Parts: sequence; C-alpha cells; structure tokens
Amino acid sequence: MTTATPQLIQAALQQLNAVILGKEHTVKLALTCLLADGHLLLEDLPGMGKTTLAHALAQVCGLEYQRVQFTSDLLPADLIGASIFEPANGNFRFHQGPLFSQVVLADELNRATPKAQSALLEAMEEQQVSVDRQTYQLPQPFFVIATQNPQSQSGTFPLPESQLDRFLLRISLGYPDPLAEREMLKGRNGRSLLSSLKPVLNPNRLQGLQSLVPQVKLSDTLLDYVQRLIAYTRQSEECHLGLSPRGAQALVRSAQSWALLQGRTHVLPEDVQAVFAAVAGHRLVGRHETQGEQLARHILSKVDVIGSRHV
Amino acid sequence: MFKIHTAQTQNFITYTGMIWLLAAQLIVMLPFTTSLPAWLIVVVIFAAGWRLRVLSGKATQPNTLIKAALLLMGIAAIFLSGLRLPSLEAMSALLLLGFAFKAVEAVKRRDALVVIFTGYFLVALNFLYSQTIIAGLYGTLSLIVLTGALVGVQQTIEEFTPAQQVRFNFWVAGQILLQCLPLMVLIFVFAPRFQPFWTLPMPMEQNTRGISDRMAPGDIEKLSQSDDLAFRVSFKGERPAQSKLYWQGLVLNYFDGREWRQFANEQSAEELQWSIKQDYAYDPQNLKIQGERYEYEAVYEQSGQPWLFTLTPSTEVQGDVLRAADYRVMAKQPLHSPMLIRAVSRPESIRDLTLAPKLQDLALQLPQQGDIRSRQLAQGLYAEAGDERAYIQTVLNRFREQPFFYTLHPPLLGEKDTIDGFLFDSQRGFCSHYAGSFVFLMRAVGIPARVVIGYQGGEWNESGKYLAVHQFDAHAWAEVWLSGQGWVRFDPTSMVAPERTEQNLEAALKKEGTFLEHSVFSSRKFAWLNSIRKQLDSMQYGWQRWVLSYDSETQTQFLSKMLGELSFTKIALLVLALFGCLVMVWMVWLGLTRKTNPEALEHRLYRRFTERLAKKGCERRLDQTPTEYAQLAIQMLPQQAEHIMAFTQTYQTLCYASELRQRSSLLRELQRLLGQIR
Repeated sequence: MTTATPQLIQAALQQLNAVILGKEHTVKLALTCLLADGHLLLEDLPGMGKTTLAHALAQVCGLEYQRVQFTSDLLPADLIGASIFEPANGNFRFHQGPLFSQVVLADELNRATPKAQSALLEAMEEQQVSVDRQTYQLPQPFFVIATQNPQSQSGTFPLPESQLDRFLLRISLGYPDPLAEREMLKGRNGRSLLSSLKPVLNPNRLQGLQSLVPQVKLSDTLLDYVQRLIAYTRQSEECHLGLSPRGAQALVRSAQSWALLQGRTHVLPEDVQAVFAAVAGHRLVGRHETQGEQLARHILSKVDVIGSRHV
Repeated sequence: MFKIHTAQTQNFITYTGMIWLLAAQLIVMLPFTTSLPAWLIVVVIFAAGWRLRVLSGKATQPNTLIKAALLLMGIAAIFLSGLRLPSLEAMSALLLLGFAFKAVEAVKRRDALVVIFTGYFLVALNFLYSQTIIAGLYGTLSLIVLTGALVGVQQTIEEFTPAQQVRFNFWVAGQILLQCLPLMVLIFVFAPRFQPFWTLPMPMEQNTRGISDRMAPGDIEKLSQSDDLAFRVSFKGERPAQSKLYWQGLVLNYFDGREWRQFANEQSAEELQWSIKQDYAYDPQNLKIQGERYEYEAVYEQSGQPWLFTLTPSTEVQGDVLRAADYRVMAKQPLHSPMLIRAVSRPESIRDLTLAPKLQDLALQLPQQGDIRSRQLAQGLYAEAGDERAYIQTVLNRFREQPFFYTLHPPLLGEKDTIDGFLFDSQRGFCSHYAGSFVFLMRAVGIPARVVIGYQGGEWNESGKYLAVHQFDAHAWAEVWLSGQGWVRFDPTSMVAPERTEQNLEAALKKEGTFLEHSVFSSRKFAWLNSIRKQLDSMQYGWQRWVLSYDSETQTQFLSKMLGELSFTKIALLVLALFGCLVMVWMVWLGLTRKTNPEALEHRLYRRFTERLAKKGCERRLDQTPTEYAQLAIQMLPQQAEHIMAFTQTYQTLCYASELRQRSSLLRELQRLLGQIR
C-alpha cells in the first residue's frame, strides 16, 4: 500500500457521500465490492437512488458507463451486440452492445426473461463474450451493477440461487434518514450533482487498488473465525442452504477489501462482520421466516469472534 | 531455519522448569541430611545454581574435564566422611551425589526425566531410615513436587505467571497422584507380601535400643533419660489399673556379683532360641488359669532386639513369637520394623505350682563369695521371721522404714560387694538396685527368686484409646517362688517410691527434678504441647497399626474376615474385578473431563481477561469483537482504561497482525498485561 492509497480512498468516499446522503455504510460497501473486483447487486424499491449510486460510482472511478434497462422483451443480442451485414464491403461486422463498457448498470435485472438474464451473468463470470465463433474480451475493469426490485413486485423473474451467487455483494439503500430526506426535499437533487463529481480515480489507479486487496493479511485466527461462521451456516438448522466455497471466498475477499478501505493491512473480525450481511444475505436460504440479511445478522450474533484450535 | 530452532528448544528445559527441578531435588534430599552427610545439599544447590546461571547466560556449561574432577572430589569426600564401606549408607550417599551433580548436567528434557525418576527411587529409599507418619506425609509431598517438576519440565511456552504456574503444576500433579491412589490401595491390600529375598545391611542408625539382656548398675537409669517410644497397646475391653501394668520383658537369673544376666554363660540369639525351644520351653500345663482376662494388641517399635513386653502370664498370643518357661514372649527375629502381636493375659493365674529342678537351680544361684554383710543380714532376718512370707514382708518393710531413697543419680558402688554397698552404705538407688538386692536377699536364705525387667505403667492416650509405653517407663522388679502360690511378683521399688507404680516416673522424681533432665527440648516439658503431642502420637499409632504392621499374616486375617474362606481364584477374581472397575471409572472420568482441541494460549488468556472484567459487571457478548468489547469495558471501568486498551491491542496484534516469530514475545507481553488487570 502506497502512502497515497488512504487519501485516494478517502477522497473517493467523500465524493460519493456528497451525492448519496446519509448512506456511508452502503456507499462504502459499494466501493468495497468494486475494489474486490466483484459485481454488485442493488435490491431496492424504485426511486431509492440505485441508479444514482451506480452512476456516481462510475463517475468517481473515472470509468465509462452504460446503462441497460431490462424489460421482459429484452434479447441477449440487445446486450451483447450483433453482427450486421455491411453492404459496402460485403462483410459482417460485429457491433458491440452496451455490455462492452467498464461499468454496466443493469437496471431492473429481474424484469427480464431468464434468457436475457443469463446472457449478462455469463458475461460477468467469463469476462468475455462469444458471438459467431468469435470471442471478444470485455473491457477491464469490468464491473456490473445490477438493480432489482424486491421479488414480491409483479412482473419479475426471480434470479435463481446459482445466479445470485455471482454477485459478490447484495446491498440495499433503504429509505433515507430524515435529515437527508429533508435536504432532498429542499431541492438538492443527487442526479444533478453527478456532473459536478470529480473523477478521483482512473482505471489504472483502480486496478492498482484492486491488486492491493489480496495482499491484505489474513491471520489464522481470523480464518478460524470465518470458518466458524461458514460452518455455522452449514450446520445450523436455521439455514436450508449454507455458504458455498465460492461464498466463503467472497466473504474473505470482501473483508480484505473492506479492511483496505479502513486503511489497514490486516483483516480484523470487524471487517468480516461489516461485509457478512452483504455477502451472505443473498446466498443463504433460511428454513424459517428469517431470511437474507436478517438471517445473516442472526448468525453473526451466534458465532464467537475469538478463539481457535490449538496452534 | 526458524522451525529447526523451535524443534530443538522444545527438548530443552526452560528456566522455570529448572527451578522446579531444583526444588524437587532439594525436597527429596532434605530428609537424608539426618542420616547421611549434609554437604550433599550444598552440592545440589551449587550444581543447580550453576545451571541456572548458564540458562540466564551468565556462565558457560562445564566441560567434561571439570565435571569429572568435581565427581572425583565428591567421591573422595564420601570416602572421607566416615561412612562404613561397603554399606547401604555409602551406596545411598553415592546415589545422592550423582543425583545432586545431575542438576548441572540437566540440559535436555531427557536428563530431567533421569533426575525425576531417580528422585522417585530416593523417596522410597528414605523409608529405610524412617517409617513414621511424618516421613510418610513428607514422602507424599516429595511425590507431588516431583510430579510437579515432571509437568514443569515439559512446558515450553511460559503460559502463566509464576504463581499461577505453581498452582497449575501442583494441581496437575495432585490429579495424577490421586488417580494412582485407588490402584495403590488395591495393591497394598491384595498384593502378596513375600519375605525379602535378600536383606540389606541395616542402616547404622538402627542400633539396638531399649532394654538389653543384662542389668548392670546404671543401665536402666540411662534408659530413663529417653522419651523414645517403646511400644503402644490398645485393649479390647477392660484395662488393668495403672499399678498393675507390669510389662514383662525378660527374666534375669544369673548374678555375677555386679551384673544380672539371663544365664550363666552368654548365649547368642540362636542358642537362646534353641534352648527356648528345648529345655526352657513354655509348657501350658504349668499354668493354672484363673482371674480377670485382658485382651490387647501391642505394636512394638523397632529396637533391633527380639524382646517383646507382655502382661504375664499370657494365655494366648498371636504373632510370629516364641514363648519361654519364664512366661516371657519373644520375637523370632530382632525387630527392625514395627511388630504387631495380639495377646490375652490372665495376671492372676498361678505359674509353676511345682518348680522344675532346672528353674529352681537358676533361681537359687548366687556368687560363691562377696556381699558378706548382706548374707548375714538375710540369715538374721530369716531366723527372726521364721517363715518365708514373714521374711519377705520384713525385707520389704526394711526398704520402707530405713532411709532408702529413690534417685536417678545413685552414688557409684564399685566393682565388688555392690549389694552391701547399696544396702548398708549408700541406700540410694533406682529400681534395678532395689530389685537386685531384694532377689539377692531371697536367694541368700534359699528362697527361689529372679529379677524381671521390662516396663511398668504407660501413658494413656484418650483420643487414640491406647497406652503408650516409653523408654523412661523401663523398670525392674522381682519374682519369688512360693509353694502353693507359684511365682509371685514383688516390687521393692514401690516400697520406697509408691508414686513410681501408682502414677509414673515423673511423679516419683518430682522432688529430685531429674525427669528427662538431659532432653531440654522434649515436648513433655511444655504442658501446652502435651495435647498436640498426644494427638500426633495417636496418628502415628494409627499409621503403625494399620499401615506399617500390615504383613502377610495380618493380610490373611483381614482378607479372610472380609471374604470368608480364602482361595487363590477368589482373590484373583476379586482383584481383577476391582481393577476392571477402576479402569472403567478412569475411562468415564477421562471422557468427561477431557477437552477436545484446547484453544491456543492467547485465546485462553483473552478469556481470562473477559472473565476478570465480567466479575466487575462487564460481560462480553459472543459476537463482540475485541475492539468493541474494549470500548464497552472502558466506558464501564474508566480507571482501568489504560490496561484494557493495552491488553486488547496486544491481543489483536498477536491474533491478526503478527508474524510467527514475534509470537512468543507477544505472548509474554500479553501475560504481563493480564496481570495488571485486577
């Protein structure tokens, strides 16, 4: 970690918080996800500022940005692009779709059919797209922010668990706190502020930060704690489905990234706890009423932070 | 490189381990100072001090040459310290020397094991010198410390503060020994007790003690200066009155003008045994049983002599004993360890209605010449009195009426005419003078008489319900044979000093003030110590009665009482069953108490930290991270803020940020910080 790293991160957070009022934790989680090189799922009711957050994130990081509105008639080609015949030279030429962008905002992902959904998710996993026996690399960094409406809303195709697993974090903004809401009502419009955001980072710097994440120290004691948490999700009768190994990896990577955001070179249990709900919320399936983040918080309260096997 | 280093250090004894070892060595060696050269203690302190200096980096390990030189010096010192060679002492001293020197060589764990196992052996060896309950308790203490040291030398990381470590190691050692206890009891009760296959030359301290087989002027006086225990007796039912407690030891028949002996010619132990089995054997037909019956158990201290002391005559005796024509009871071997017998006595029975010629000859023997005045006196008095009974009464009255004195410091009587000297000139004497001269006066007129020596009286211990007879209770009295009455006991001393028989020696010497005058520190001199002394003695008796005297005979009796008829299969099955039960109990206990996967030290320390704060009302929730908990604790206990912060930070560094090589120093720091939390 260079000496400039904490300042960079602080500056980026400051910019984001200026646009999204009173949501420091959520904003930090969003940046955590970006630094951990994972994709973000924003789940919230319409009009909570999901798009604004996605947009601001792209802006601050100095990344190019595309937005795709998912609808039930969206086809994979609308995302990926298509080969179009060019009469001038008699060739087919591939026209890149909106997916070929450093930040892709997939708005209302669960309104699209599973077919369109899976086109996006495949691209997310492979970081490349194949069309007509041709493989196209997606730009780097490649970051997908998907928003989705709560599944109870009508006209949605819920994402299967296997697909959800591909998002590193799932967060929701929730209603703004009264103070922030008052500001908003006074006419302070987040979206209009977007243009005033300074790009604190650029793709190079972002990748530099991303490369620091795996270097954040994971001690045995900490991994013991992580494994206790994972074991609890798998053994507890409160969970129908526990965390997969990929989920466990996601937890560790997110915690490292969070620790980096805190300006530390090692991971503390606090870091794990901070990201746990966002990592596990969409991956766990509870047996009872308690689901998602609530279940994750419940699990946190049941697992001892300290202690380990004998070294 | 680092790993190799740790692997090596794990085989070495740590500083604390060394201190444990030293403590154990000192404790094991301490009791030997009373019987073996005391400078051996200095050797162990010197050797361990050297080793400790090496460990703290202030000295270097001695090389082979120095070690060899030291060893040779030590061996030379043992040769020069005046121990008999070869003997048990010399061998023990040599072993102790090696044990002491091993401290400087104890570098690796393996060396420590050698020291500790030798220590266990030495604990056992010490019982050759002392078998008292104190020695037993001390042996147990030594075992605990040795086992504690065994635990101590296995520890690598110093887990606790010194005080905690001492407590922990003792706790573990205690647990280990407690687990052994049932097996020990099982073996003690059931294992067959064989006679030793070979005997050791006895330690030199165990010279013969107590009453000897002769009585020269001054012998019993000397004995009366000792408050050593002779034997203890517990009665089943009635106990005879204090003045009837005449414990007969042996009978002295032969008088050479100065000294009383058993027989004319000196007899070795084998000869005596042989004659007791032949022409001097006990014949129950000579005994006409009548009167009060007293049943008792007596445990005799080791005296190095075969004499036993019983209330005469005994009608039944259980134990490995011989019985003689003079109604004495005698052990077959000299007593090198405490011995227990059970006996029934009927003091009023008539002994020898008809006197065998051999016994009569023995009871009438007198020197050819000497003591003319006494012989003339006897004849004169006898002529005056007319018959035997009146004559005896006259002699006894003479002792009472004439100015005879009972004293521990009689004047010397010379080599010749000692009876005359006593009866006419000094008139001061101890029981031996009175008994001796009385028998002389009887024999001078042809009445069969003999001197009996033994003990008279004893001290009743109310808490232990037994009678303790000490060396100062040694006494001599006389037996006279009268036709129609057999042997009758007369105690001329009681004519002079009735307190002696009615109470004890202390009362009889009250005026003179010479009771135990040479033992200034005897606990008997201090009244307030008396009850403690009696309590201790009572414990000692129990120890002897139930533990030390549990020999093969007592074992058979005990087992047949518990099990009915004994057979090998019965005992074997029982032992197997008990052993099986023990193993089961152990296994269950192990299963219940064993912790699987104990936590790493830092976490245990952290839990202790939270326990201490929880006592002050600051409980830790399971999901609280150390930082969160510290913040909470600081709010609740602001006066400890600094210590709490420091501990938490060190813990966090240790757990989440440290490199492996910092671990041990951080652990020590953590331990120190934990000590500050009060």
